[in-house]
Amino acid sequence: MPQLDTSTWFTTIMTMLPTLYLIMQLKLLNTNHYQPPLTKNSNLQFHNTHWQPKWTKTCLPLSQPQQ
Amino acid sequence: MNENLFTSFSAPTILNQPATIPIILFPTLLILTSKHPTNNRLATIQQNLTQFTLKQMMTTHNAKGQTWSLMLMSLITFIAMTNLLGLLPYSFTPTTQLSMNLAMAIPLWAGTVVLGLRFKTKNSLAHLLPQGTPTPLIPMLVVIETISLLIQPMALAVRLTANITAGHLLMHLIGSAMLTLSTTNFSMTLLTSMLLALLTILEIAVALIQAYVFTLLISLYLYNNT
Repeated sequence: MPQLDTSTWFTTIMTMLPTLYLIMQLKLLNTNHYQPPLTKNSNLQFHNTHWQPKWTKTCLPLSQPQQ
Repeated sequence: MNENLFTSFSAPTILNQPATIPIILFPTLLILTSKHPTNNRLATIQQNLTQFTLKQMMTTHNAKGQTWSLMLMSLITFIAMTNLLGLLPYSFTPTTQLSMNLAMAIPLWAGTVVLGLRFKTKNSLAHLLPQGTPTPLIPMLVVIETISLLIQPMALAVRLTANITAGHLLMHLIGSAMLTLSTTNFSMTLLTSMLLALLTILEIAVALIQAYVFTLLISLYLYNNT
């Protein structure tokens, strides 16, 4: 069986070691997995701003001190 | 005829130089790396496959086991690509070489065992004795469990070698039978060609499955030891 011919074992093993442990791992490290855009919660800025503070006087007449 | 069958498994040489070196290095050329957020289809397919496999394999491990994820991902990628490329006609499959499989299996298995012995000594030694064994049987069972532990790397290497070699041999045999049948009895050729087609599909499955099994077992040993 030619697989048991140990003269080639050294070459095969010494080639496999850097291939598997160095080059493959470097290749996998250099693939960047980007998140698809717009996954963040984009309505963080949304407030219930029906009225600004400076309009409170006209919009909420009851909030003024009673005269 | 024995000599002819097995010559496809001997290490190839070009002009007496070992051709195994570029053949083993070749699958790394097929993995695309790019820095763009959006890539072409091939790169996106590869990235999605990598992420999918990563999730499947590494979610069952704890944090310590997940430090091995790069190693296991490169292992399964390497074995799967090598096996699949070996299905092309006249190609050489490095995973049929016992040397390479032994050199892959022994260090990885030894790594998981050393990890378990170093960080969880009592726990990993306790694996040597199953629960609930009657007291007189304990010495014998420890010996049996030790032997089954020591045979794990050999089983890993020989399993991969034998499966891929046997598949390739079978395809060679049926192909040469088809060739000789084509001149004598043509209807048998069609039957045999269907058999060959089915075998090829099986071999594709075997190529992928063997990669998976190898990696899965190593991750199992890792799980037991972290």
